[in-house]
Amino acid sequence: MDSARRLGHAQIDVFAQLGVSTVLLGGIYALIAVGLTLIFGIMRVVNFAHGEFLMLGMYLAYWAFALLSLDPWFVLFVSIPLFFGIGLVTYMLVMKGVIHASHNVQIFTTVGLSTALQNLALVLWSGDFHTVRPWHALTPVRVAGTAFNLSQVVAFVIAVTLTVLLFAFMRWTHTGRVMRATAQDRDAAILMGIDTDRVYRITFALGIAAVGAAGVLVSPLYAVYPTAGLQFVLLSYVVVVLGGLGDMVGALIGSLIVAAVEVAGSYFFGTAWKEIFYFVLFIAVLVFRPAGLFGQRGAENLGV
Amino acid sequence: MRAILAQRWGALVLFGVAAVIPIFVRDAYFLDTLVLILLWGALSAAWNIACGYAGQVCIGHAAFFGIGAYSTALMGVRFQQSPWVGMLVGALLSLAAGAAIGYLSNRLKGPYFALSTIAFSQVLLIVASRWRAFTAGSEGLPVPFRPGFATLGLGDVAWAYLILVVALLYWGIQVWLEHSRFGYRLAGVREDEDAAQALGIPSRRLKVIAVTASAALTSVCGTLWAQKVGFVDPFYVFSVDLSVRFALNAIIGGIGTALGPFLGSILITSLETYLRATLSGVKSGFTGIYLIVYGIVLILVVRFVPEGLAGLSARLRARWTRAQA
Repeated sequence: MDSARRLGHAQIDVFAQLGVSTVLLGGIYALIAVGLTLIFGIMRVVNFAHGEFLMLGMYLAYWAFALLSLDPWFVLFVSIPLFFGIGLVTYMLVMKGVIHASHNVQIFTTVGLSTALQNLALVLWSGDFHTVRPWHALTPVRVAGTAFNLSQVVAFVIAVTLTVLLFAFMRWTHTGRVMRATAQDRDAAILMGIDTDRVYRITFALGIAAVGAAGVLVSPLYAVYPTAGLQFVLLSYVVVVLGGLGDMVGALIGSLIVAAVEVAGSYFFGTAWKEIFYFVLFIAVLVFRPAGLFGQRGAENLGV
Repeated sequence: MRAILAQRWGALVLFGVAAVIPIFVRDAYFLDTLVLILLWGALSAAWNIACGYAGQVCIGHAAFFGIGAYSTALMGVRFQQSPWVGMLVGALLSLAAGAAIGYLSNRLKGPYFALSTIAFSQVLLIVASRWRAFTAGSEGLPVPFRPGFATLGLGDVAWAYLILVVALLYWGIQVWLEHSRFGYRLAGVREDEDAAQALGIPSRRLKVIAVTASAALTSVCGTLWAQKVGFVDPFYVFSVDLSVRFALNAIIGGIGTALGPFLGSILITSLETYLRATLSGVKSGFTGIYLIVYGIVLILVVRFVPEGLAGLSARLRARWTRAQA
């Protein structure tokens, strides 16, 4: 890196590399965060177990790769319906009973779910770190003086595609419209004959399917272990609060900001300290703009 | 006073038994369990002040626990000070941190506040685990053991009584909250902040005081724990699991009740000790098993018995007296 800094010509490459890194990372963070913000926006529940579903997605990719030599890209086709189903079951068993309860009850319910899932993984699969190394994790892609491995580039493309599909679903389908209506006014939605229980069920399942897919996508890039979800979920809280809880476009911009902070922080101060920057950013945003960077004051009590 | 004690027969029995046990039992393992039950109970009681009585959902109390633990370890290792100095330093730092968090609670509600407390404990975890030159980083820090009360190097029986005193003190603070003007006002703020403010209660100041006190009390227990265990591991003392544990004891026992945290601690700590004893040989992942149980119990309790064991017993007693009449 030092030699690159000395050469004026190569310096541009460093910044190009940092810039592209930010975008690639931001796309993946967006897919993780969009599920969280969807669940919050419509159900008014902060899912503290969100990271654990990501971790389960990573384990699914790991086991498919280790036992069946299945490529994570292929596993994605299985994971999306599978995690949609897991989301439905979790909603029925755990979330349905507390959907009208107080914030405190909801917080402790999802915190309990998080603890249980994390340790289920620990008991079943031990605390060892696992890695998934398909061929594309070792294939470099070089464009305009930047170099990335193929897994990262494709993960970005798929993550963005899935996020866009989710946006399109929310915007143009009947179900999406019904979900947005419920977010805006639960009581009015019920009066219009909307089955809100079904809306919550689908919302939760969609959010879990998104984060499960993200888990499969990041599996070639990060180590797989029972608390792997924690680092991502903390980061996606930052993303979501930056963008405004429940605001899907805000989540996209928030992802890019967090990715930029992470990439720049790791480059200038070393990877060991990168998290501190976005936590400080997080607390600062919570203190000064709890409705998010772009939100209106008081928007933290409104919908998507 | 007598009326208060009459209502508190459960606590009298509990602490009475705890006081008698060390006289007859000399088994180190059993005494250890007793100390842990009382210590986790006291920690949950400290948490209960912020969450149960003041209604501020903290899931980052491990931050204050870690501050207390690290203060004594660092004061001992780096500055050759006694643990009491470490305890004081930790409590002062936690007072400052608690005041900051308490201030946040005036700006943030519900899930937002909970998130900010997690973020705070994570920042401390990063600092403790990465600042190698001072905190020894992720390897953790051994706490120097020097025998004697002045250096908190105590025998099993002495530990049991010291922690019993602390537990009684924390229980007493909660009882005071239930019978004092301060406590009534705090309950008013918890139940309806707008109404409380309309009645002229300085709700913001009360919340800050409650969270700050809770932080300092947690820190003191963190110091005691570090001295008892003799080692501080950043990934344990600042973990989210630990924060959840403080909440769990209080919720299972009865959130916002004085005895609840201790009832919860008896149940959870003995379950943990039992599982550790029976499963330790089976698999290295035993820690996970009781934590799975924790998680499920937490989900079930908040849903079906939100008032916890203490509230449940009150409900049953009410039904019984009604049946008598």
